Amino acid sequence: MNSPHAILQGKACAPGHFEGEAVVSNQPFGFWQGLDPLTGIVIDQRHELYGTSLKRKAFFFPYGRGSTGTPGIFLEAVRNACAPAAIVNTKSEPMIVMCSLLAEAFFKVLIPIVDGLEGDPKSLLRTGDWVRIDGTTGIIDVISRS
Amino acid sequence: MHLTEEERQILDGAFGEPQRIALNVLIKLGDAYGAERMVEIASAHIVGSSYQIAGEAGIEIYGKLVEQGAKVKVRTTCDPGSIDFSRWQIFKTPPDYAERQIKIAELLGQMGVIPTWTCTPYTAFNVPRYGEDLGWSESSAVIFANSVIGARTNRLAAYVDVCAALVGRVPRFGLHLPECRRGQVLFELASELSDNFEDHFFPVLGYFVGQKAGDRIPVINGLQKATLDQLKAFGAAAAASGSVALYHMVGITPEARTLDEAFGGRQLGDRTVVGRSEIDNTLEQMNTGGPGAVDIVGLGCPHASIDQMRRYAALLKGKYVHPSTELWICANTVVEDMARQMGYIETIELAGAKLMVGTCHNDCPLGAWNFRRLATDSGKFAYYTPTTVGTKCIFTSTEACIEAAITGRIGSA
Repeated sequence: MNSPHAILQGKACAPGHFEGEAVVSNQPFGFWQGLDPLTGIVIDQRHELYGTSLKRKAFFFPYGRGSTGTPGIFLEAVRNACAPAAIVNTKSEPMIVMCSLLAEAFFKVLIPIVDGLEGDPKSLLRTGDWVRIDGTTGIIDVISRS
Repeated sequence: MHLTEEERQILDGAFGEPQRIALNVLIKLGDAYGAERMVEIASAHIVGSSYQIAGEAGIEIYGKLVEQGAKVKVRTTCDPGSIDFSRWQIFKTPPDYAERQIKIAELLGQMGVIPTWTCTPYTAFNVPRYGEDLGWSESSAVIFANSVIGARTNRLAAYVDVCAALVGRVPRFGLHLPECRRGQVLFELASELSDNFEDHFFPVLGYFVGQKAGDRIPVINGLQKATLDQLKAFGAAAAASGSVALYHMVGITPEARTLDEAFGGRQLGDRTVVGRSEIDNTLEQMNTGGPGAVDIVGLGCPHASIDQMRRYAALLKGKYVHPSTELWICANTVVEDMARQMGYIETIELAGAKLMVGTCHNDCPLGAWNFRRLATDSGKFAYYTPTTVGTKCIFTSTEACIEAAITGRIGSA
């Protein structure tokens, strides 16, 4: 947490590159009933990120609480350019990986996904940190701390 | 991944763009989860049929697929929509919203999807067999097909299910593999509980098990018997509060004739004893509202069976729903038809309750109603309605729900 630069090695789950701001939570997240696809804002009142925008951010959270409707909301957000631009999990459940595959197949948008993060997301970085994510190698570069 | 000659041709575009796109998605999914090959499926059940889930993105995706000539390759049924197609006005659905749902219905129809609009396709339209591979989504239907019938499907997701339907295949990993269907975590009912296991404890136990099991396969030992509706209610709750896709109930479900069979001869996993206090604590969690007035009562989640319709009719016979309370009962068209012929619907409607067909409280836009407190006998509703409908939720037995609809209030939660 103290060193300004860090390189985290995860497991590559879906290709794509991203550089930008991170939003970080230690709570599992469900996109269905969790995200407003028209704004990219978290609408689950039980979640610590309630009211936070995920739009074009790298979203770090432990794992998805996967309703099978997840890609419905996710792709609607992709279509509106309000989806997170990268996802990093401790353990990616299939729903999240499917979201990325579908975004590529139907909207030609690449959303890199990396999982296998060691430790709670918040022990590694925090919201506002600037990161570079490579979905093909699974490498997460923490460029600057907020 | 090993591909057959036909699969290679699909990827080369020999069967058109929709199949090429669909197989591509499924292969990538298989690669991500270590599948060695694809497996043919007997049927598909798709969840992106509601406008609430699919939205404009869905209309765009389905529209494009239809333009490219997409047709489903296997029997394919669909989940509830976001409107009651014949009665959306009485549920105050905005007309422009209804129009978008009807657009989705047209597009799915053009692809050859059977318009079942139900989360319980196994009640009539899409009945899986033991050991069959399927490509289903809808968490409560997946868990039913896997656990109660012994068919094999992973929890697919919106659109991935359509991909599976278009090529009649899914990547073979996870629950398609017998060795991945064995129990992983044990829930043992204390005898104080198993001797007095009430009907409405099934969704409570499901809610508890789902929270504890997460995405692991739970084995429940100690239940003496269970009806199909009770198994349906248990599974729907476990699939909502956790992401359970398969459970085994020893002596009740087909892959668990004995405890040993449920675990496939492996060592038993973590063991949790479930007693009356676990049920009471979970009940407390499921109840976000205390005693007091109730403005909406929701039954039929998952969609009611004909047995449940009979029960509702018997409880409502000669009674009247309180003027400031709504009682909505959700079902599919086949059950509606039977219930009408059997006179149950007349009884239900005479009592002032509403039948909601092909959709449910969670799938419809209900903003115009300003509901504040919902009573339900469904663990799945209890899990989702605080966010979907924005209400406080009172979970209780079917009888107490109907009593609440009649008196307009709930005594104690």
